[in-house]
Amino acid sequence: MFISTYRVTKFAFQNFWRNFWLSVITITMLVMTLLTVNILIILNFVTNQAIQTIEDRVEISVYFHGSAPQTTIDNAVDYLRSLSQVKDVQTVSAQESLDRFILIHKQDEAIVASLEEIGGNPFGPSLIVKAQNVSDFDFILKALENPKFSDSIRQKDFSNYSDVVTRIKNTTDRVRTFGVALSVIFLLIAILIVFNTVRMSIFIHREEIGIMKLVGASDRFVRAPFFLEMILLSLISIFVILLIVYPLIAIFEPKFGFFIGGESIGLVNYFEQNGLMIFGLEFVGLVLLTLFSTGLAMRKYLKV
Amino acid sequence: MILFKNVSKIYPPNIVGIESVSLNIKPGEFVSIVGQSGTGKSTLAKLLFAEERPTRGKIEIGGWDITNIKNHEVPMLRRQIGVVFQDYKLLQRKTVYENVAFALQVAGAPPHRIREVVPLVLNIVNLHDKHGRYPNQLSGGEQQRVAIARSLVHQPKVLVADEPTGNLDTLNAREIMDLLAKINEFGTTVVLVTHDRDMVNRLRRRVITLEDGKISSDVEEGRYKL
Ligand SMILES: Nc1ncnc2c1ncn2[C@@H]1O[C@H](COP(=O)(O)OP(=O)(O)OP(=O)(O)O)[C@@H](O)[C@H]1O
Ligand SMILES: [Mg+2]
Repeated sequence: MFISTYRVTKFAFQNFWRNFWLSVITITMLVMTLLTVNILIILNFVTNQAIQTIEDRVEISVYFHGSAPQTTIDNAVDYLRSLSQVKDVQTVSAQESLDRFILIHKQDEAIVASLEEIGGNPFGPSLIVKAQNVSDFDFILKALENPKFSDSIRQKDFSNYSDVVTRIKNTTDRVRTFGVALSVIFLLIAILIVFNTVRMSIFIHREEIGIMKLVGASDRFVRAPFFLEMILLSLISIFVILLIVYPLIAIFEPKFGFFIGGESIGLVNYFEQNGLMIFGLEFVGLVLLTLFSTGLAMRKYLKV
Repeated sequence: MILFKNVSKIYPPNIVGIESVSLNIKPGEFVSIVGQSGTGKSTLAKLLFAEERPTRGKIEIGGWDITNIKNHEVPMLRRQIGVVFQDYKLLQRKTVYENVAFALQVAGAPPHRIREVVPLVLNIVNLHDKHGRYPNQLSGGEQQRVAIARSLVHQPKVLVADEPTGNLDTLNAREIMDLLAKINEFGTTVVLVTHDRDMVNRLRRRVITLEDGKISSDVEEGRYKL
């Protein structure tokens, strides 16, 4: 058993070297396929991260009248916290509310002027409500119209990011569709190329295969080197893709960060943590793909 | 040793290879199959090592019914039958030694057995001093002797030779025939397909003549009639 494995491995390596350029072409195609898949993974991660960052900033400020009773405010907080669309409710004191309001509206001279005119603090305490999703925004605004406390509310402030998020989602959906289409095309080409590589390999070795069979080589002994050769090519392709992907994300990570406000989005970190799983799965997928097309080619061209 | 019962081989669409051939070859026999071109000699040989399956009839080798032998059983059969061809079928990129060893390797033989058997069979064919050469550095006769050495590594009960001297001059052909006779003396049943009238006459062994896929004569100590 061991000795056969050794011999089969030896034959597989010989196939690889003797058809060097064929091997190179096959690896190139496998790498292209893997590259599109990895770009899709990166795209997915980056857009999710971007949307996440934006959604984190989506909040509604609810200012109460100075005269609003504490129980009403407490009711409002309890009610909002009970909603599944609400991620977080923060309470802010009257003074903090004023500061906050001034900060948000400091560009608007009319509002600043009218505040000065009033003098003192017209605000009661306020709430900062964070939504679970951008799309929950409208729901929460509606919820705030609840008669139990709506009369005590002086003003609601929010910056609506939903347009931005929709734009990101639309763009990435388009890019993703394109990416998936590209991967499928590359996948099909890869299957064809592997198929052809095996076919050529069988053709090149037909004399040897004939003699092997004549002197009593078993099916498995004849077939195994072809399968092994393809597993070898898959392994090399995975290494090549590792050498491409890691530098690529290291270079591009800061650029992505720029789009979403300068913080690191943790792409390198993500690949470091999940790299084994990502590339492990890709390797398994690749091996299944190559074995499938190798089997197909052998069924057609290798009558054992 | 070898039993054919009403064996026919019809190639698609409707080409007769052999038709209703019955024969019984006993262990240790040396049988020559002769006949004109296209009369089914190679077909008969191919049926023996299961390169082809019979369309009708029954074939037994050493008590093993190989009529409908399964694909995965063929290697086992091939390791018990030696085969030799007109075109030697040697691997050009392997040396004499490696070509012979190859037949043991594909059967999963351990290295120590290979080191033991290969020199032995190369000795039988008298090529031990040329074991490092490549096939293209050998004469036709020497190449055929390598092929014969290779066919002997599994100590086959049956040796099938399809025109082994077809590409050789008289002298080389004689050497090969002497070698086959020697192997036969060791107890191996030899089935020889040939065109060579002189060889058959010299042998004075059983001769089966095929004509249009049928046996037209089968005589002990025969002569090539044509
Ligand atoms: N694979 C095949 N497919 C179709 N017909 C075949 C095949 N092999 C052989 N034949 C036909 O079967 C018949 C017998 O062929 P075979 O090769 O057995 O003859 P042979 O006696 O060995 O001839 P030769 O002396 O020329 O080698 C011929 O008519 C041949 O054309
Ligand atoms: Mg023939």
